[in-house]
Amino acid sequence: MSLVSPVAERFRALVERQLAARPAGGPVWLEAQRSAAARRLAELGMPERRQEAWRYTSIEPLLGQPFDPAAEAESRPDLDQIRSLLLAETEGTRLVLLNGRHAPALSSLGRAGAVSVGSLRDALREGSGERARLLGSLAGPGEHAFSALNTVLAQDGALIRIPEETAQEQPIELLHLSMPTLQPGVVQPRHLVLVEPRARARLVERFVALGEPLYFNNLVSEILLGDSAELEHERLQAESPHAFHLSVVHLAQAAGSRYRGVVAALGAAWSRTDLKVRFDGPGAECALDGLYLAGDGQLVDMHLDVHHAVPGCTSRQSFRGILDGRGRAVFDGRVRVERQAQKSDARLTNANLMLSRSAEIDTKPQLEIFADDVQCSHGTSVGQLDADALFYLRSRGLSLADARRMLCMGFAREVLDAFRVGGLRDRSEALLAHRLERGPQGQRPGD
Amino acid sequence: MLSIRGLKVAVEGKEILGGIDLEVPAGEVHAIMGPNGSGKSSLAYVLAGREGYEVTAGEVSFDGLDLLGLAAEERARRGLFLAMQYPVELPGVNNMSFLKASLNAIRQARGEPEMGAPSFLKQLRETARHLKLDEKLLQRSVNAGFSGGEKKRNEILQMAMLEPRLAILDETDSGLDIDALRTVADGVNALRSPERAMLVVTHYQRLLDYIVPDRVHVLAGGRILRSGGKALALELEERGYGWILEEAAA
Repeated sequence: MSLVSPVAERFRALVERQLAARPAGGPVWLEAQRSAAARRLAELGMPERRQEAWRYTSIEPLLGQPFDPAAEAESRPDLDQIRSLLLAETEGTRLVLLNGRHAPALSSLGRAGAVSVGSLRDALREGSGERARLLGSLAGPGEHAFSALNTVLAQDGALIRIPEETAQEQPIELLHLSMPTLQPGVVQPRHLVLVEPRARARLVERFVALGEPLYFNNLVSEILLGDSAELEHERLQAESPHAFHLSVVHLAQAAGSRYRGVVAALGAAWSRTDLKVRFDGPGAECALDGLYLAGDGQLVDMHLDVHHAVPGCTSRQSFRGILDGRGRAVFDGRVRVERQAQKSDARLTNANLMLSRSAEIDTKPQLEIFADDVQCSHGTSVGQLDADALFYLRSRGLSLADARRMLCMGFAREVLDAFRVGGLRDRSEALLAHRLERGPQGQRPGD
Repeated sequence: MLSIRGLKVAVEGKEILGGIDLEVPAGEVHAIMGPNGSGKSSLAYVLAGREGYEVTAGEVSFDGLDLLGLAAEERARRGLFLAMQYPVELPGVNNMSFLKASLNAIRQARGEPEMGAPSFLKQLRETARHLKLDEKLLQRSVNAGFSGGEKKRNEILQMAMLEPRLAILDETDSGLDIDALRTVADGVNALRSPERAMLVVTHYQRLLDYIVPDRVHVLAGGRILRSGGKALALELEERGYGWILEEAAA
């Protein structure tokens, strides 16, 4: 390539800076994987707007930041502050990642029972990483530069294994805590979750910050559900208002397995979540509820890709978005039904509530159906608060601002109520209410 | 308490109320009757402060205040309540939380302390029982999936909890069977008091058998064509609206 644009140059600089921190050593297979991902990264280059998957998502705000892969914490963590963030429901089953690194002193894993929850770093170091060999089995070398980058650089994260026939009732939590660093930091967490045949578990994932630091969380998760395994997976992205967040979640479901997910993306200045679902065996079910909120200067991107490769599976995706001020959101919901995937049942909906004229949503449901005996539907809506509903509330004495908030919370209610971990639902609800109360401002991309 | 003088209202440039004069003193119940499209519901909405109505002439005073200068929520806080003909469904908005927020907004405006959860709940349950409103509906989303009768009862429940100075009931009888009508009317009658006025908007005389008005006004073509005692309602039931329209045209 002879012509290099200034943007591409900045991207190259960002990547090179990160690659300087490439870990060495570890098992041979891992080193081979890193090398494959590094080659992939070089081939892929920068995600660009002319690529369909990045058409509405500019990465330019990311490129202006001097992200340091080895950024050091400004101070020691304030334990009282951390305690105030914890969920009672996950006491004893909580793994904490502090600025991307497993923090044993902050974690609490005494009640995990037969379930193995640990740091990926430890698993790889202790050579007991047999299970860890499944790392990369879904993600491959990476399908965009950031997931490839994660594969080259990831050093820590969680390795969770729910053994066959085990029912883990207490939710296991992965708490991603970010605290201020001397330079803006970048972290590359990597998770592997194995729910073995006929096992059942609940998983909570939270992204929270102490203060309002600037950082880039670039995460890849791989979740494998065995035959008839069940997983409830609830996720709250409540990153710092200055943060960048990119997570790619790969999910593979064997025959008869069930996955129920809830995602709320309420924080970060710039965030993108890629959820990739693959059915590997018949009779599997995947249900996902999602909520996102974008205020001034904020970008929230949700990319779904559900792949019905085998017959008789069911997928349900229902996402709701609230956009305020000059907020921007992207919803890309792709459902593929292969020729052999007869009796598939796929439903996808996306509803958006626009609170301002300056907000922008790009919503794109895509159904690609090659089988003929299927039930598939999709629906998308973009609307404003209903004038009759506002009048009704005001005629009962509520101020216009209160009436708007009440209707917004009502719009989000279906997704909030899908959280079954009460503490997570309460926190999501409180955060949404707080942001609606504060108005569209408050999200500042890296100032 | 409510005094309307020369009120003219237009919607999108088209006149729908052509000069209304009406006095409703405290303690009285007035009925507004009229054929479909006469402007009855528009009058109710204009009084409650719904947007989209342009007042081109006249004034409305409520307890000595210029009502038309107030936002809808200000009117509610000063004691005006509109029981709507088509109560709006609010999916995701909990009926009980909504009513509590509403009550406390009004109490705060009156300078009263917030009502605590226990006394609120007690009063709410009692009121619901009187109105034969299934308690489960209190935990559901406001009006969402309610039957026509349940929606009307829910309106009267709100009215009973908010204790307005002036209650406007817009076609509260529509969609109610006779038993439901009695229950709703009992609920309304229980709120009659010397400090409170009511304006009952209805197409049919039927409701007025149960909520007996002090005065009846016939509204047609955006004007009050005739006013009288409760006997006027019976006459309308017998003879229809045609004769009044003819007399007015003559």
